[in-house]
Amino acid sequence: MILLVEDNPDDEALTLRALQKHNILNEVVVARDGAEALDFLYGTGAYAGRDLDVMPEVVLLDLNLPKINGLEVLGNIRANAKTRLLPVVILTTSNEEQDKLKSYTLGANSFIRKPVDFQQFSEAIRQLGVYWLLLNQAPPAVKG
Amino acid sequence: MGSGSQGFASQTRGHYWKISMVALGVTCAVGIGLYRLAHFYVLNEAERNIEAVLLAQKGIHRYISEVMHPTFFKLKAKGLVSEEFYAPEILSSSFIVRNEHKAYNEERKAAGLDAVYYKMAAINPRNPVNKADALEEKLIRMFNENREVKKYREVVRIDGKDYLYVALPFLVNQEKCLKCHGDRQEAPLGLQALYPGLGGFNEKVGQIRAIESIRAPMERQYFLLYIVVASAFAGLVVLAGLLLFATRLRDMVRERTQELEQEVAERRRAEEEVRKANEELEERVEERTVQIATANKELDSFAYSVSHDLRAPLRGIDGFSQALLEDYGERLDDTAKDYISRVRAGCLRMGDLIDDMLQLSRMSRGEIHRQEVDLSGMAGEIAEELQRSAPQRRVVFEITPGITVFGDANLLRAVLDNLLGNAWKFTSKTAEARIIFGRQEEGGKDVLFVRDNGAGFDMAYADKLFGTFQRLHSIQEFEGTGIGLATVQRIIHRHGGSIRAEGSVGRGATFYFSV
Repeated sequence: MILLVEDNPDDEALTLRALQKHNILNEVVVARDGAEALDFLYGTGAYAGRDLDVMPEVVLLDLNLPKINGLEVLGNIRANAKTRLLPVVILTTSNEEQDKLKSYTLGANSFIRKPVDFQQFSEAIRQLGVYWLLLNQAPPAVKG
Repeated sequence: MGSGSQGFASQTRGHYWKISMVALGVTCAVGIGLYRLAHFYVLNEAERNIEAVLLAQKGIHRYISEVMHPTFFKLKAKGLVSEEFYAPEILSSSFIVRNEHKAYNEERKAAGLDAVYYKMAAINPRNPVNKADALEEKLIRMFNENREVKKYREVVRIDGKDYLYVALPFLVNQEKCLKCHGDRQEAPLGLQALYPGLGGFNEKVGQIRAIESIRAPMERQYFLLYIVVASAFAGLVVLAGLLLFATRLRDMVRERTQELEQEVAERRRAEEEVRKANEELEERVEERTVQIATANKELDSFAYSVSHDLRAPLRGIDGFSQALLEDYGERLDDTAKDYISRVRAGCLRMGDLIDDMLQLSRMSRGEIHRQEVDLSGMAGEIAEELQRSAPQRRVVFEITPGITVFGDANLLRAVLDNLLGNAWKFTSKTAEARIIFGRQEEGGKDVLFVRDNGAGFDMAYADKLFGTFQRLHSIQEFEGTGIGLATVQRIIHRHGGSIRAEGSVGRGATFYFSV
């Protein structure tokens, strides 16, 4: 399962299209802001009662988000015992040094800049899917 | 300031007058003292003259009374001299002394000296020549009444000349004197015959019969007084001169002091103004710094927004154009496909523009972290990367080894990226492309350069090369955004260096820069 945290519906559609195009058929949960992402991960709000043993293999996290921004979401994930080992890939339009520095400092596993060129973007998504969903071994689930 | 200095001056003036008065007083006192001393000396001198005369005459008197009289009376007793014999030339001391003094005065006159008045003055003289004048008579009575007074002295002025007048009690009648000065009937007959009047008789024992009255001129001695007075006057003149000089000096000092004080005040005022100006400047700099910091922050957030918000829709346009092409391609004719590809090209170009603008803005702000940077090594890496990006191209890179500068590695990397990238780009249509990174000396300074033998440019547009969005070639000829060299120039300037370009169309370009 992939948790895609993305507020831009165009980017969401293009990401989903790219995944689909490259036959990455894992379930994709889309959260449209930081609060929704945290609700999903902790089973609160709209996701109350969700089976918390099921955690995404990777979180694709945009930085510029309404309500709670990406860096705060990342910080929250890393601060929580249940989610702190979750692979988080920052997928953003930003190319700022500061964003990269803060993301890695907070414990991001990867930082990908979304290219304007859709073909390049599509290729990036393909590689992400291949790497994090197939190649990479997810951390053992944390019980509790 | 002004009133203070005036107060100081008046205080000095008061002080000065006090000193002047004291000096004048002292001078006057000394002058008076000197005058008194001189006067005393002059009197003393005159008195000594008189004394000398008196002592000489006293000696004669004594000789007459102690030697001549006893001898005469002895001869008389032996019967050698007649009882009636009397001759004043031999027996009268006053007669002898008077005539001796007359001769003395004649001698003085012959020696060019003033005469000394001398008189054996008596109230009741035998010879009227010895008759006391009014003063002398008064003095005789005074001496008789006051026996303790032994001398009368006074300075008198006669015909404009000063004289020292001295009177001394002379003869006190004794028993033996009465032989000739007692009862007329008892006196020698010769005496009685010679002096028919009563003068000189009926004297009483113990009575002061005569005084010595003497008057000596003081003119010569006054000469000394003149010298003393003249000296004192000269001293006063010198002192006055000194005081005048001191006044001038003091005035000069005061004027100069005032000038200096004014100068100091002006300087202080000027310093104060400079200080104020500095403060204002500092405040303004601080304000401006805050403004710049704010502007930079705004620029940062603006750049961030551009980076995010401008690119996202572009990605949408490009993505959905691609999707359109992929999903509905068979329903579109070639013209429609061409339009879509143009839309996509526009998106990509805009993406590049945004990226380059972001780089330009990023290079313009932030701090410079200076360190030793190996530019030759950096140029080598870039050359390799360029070669890798287009392995089919054959380009000769000549990189002078060991070029290092002190600067910001990231920013200098952007400079070389742009310059070498440009050289790479503009030699893409050159048969035997050569790109050189080297160093040469210009006016004692090291200047670095990147040279190529590519498309070059018209020197007429040399000043436009470094402007933002300035391009000298069409997009069809050479791709690019026209921001690269603007970025390069900004970085070089931020390092305190300079950059210029030389070239000609078709014969390559050289970019000279110093850091």
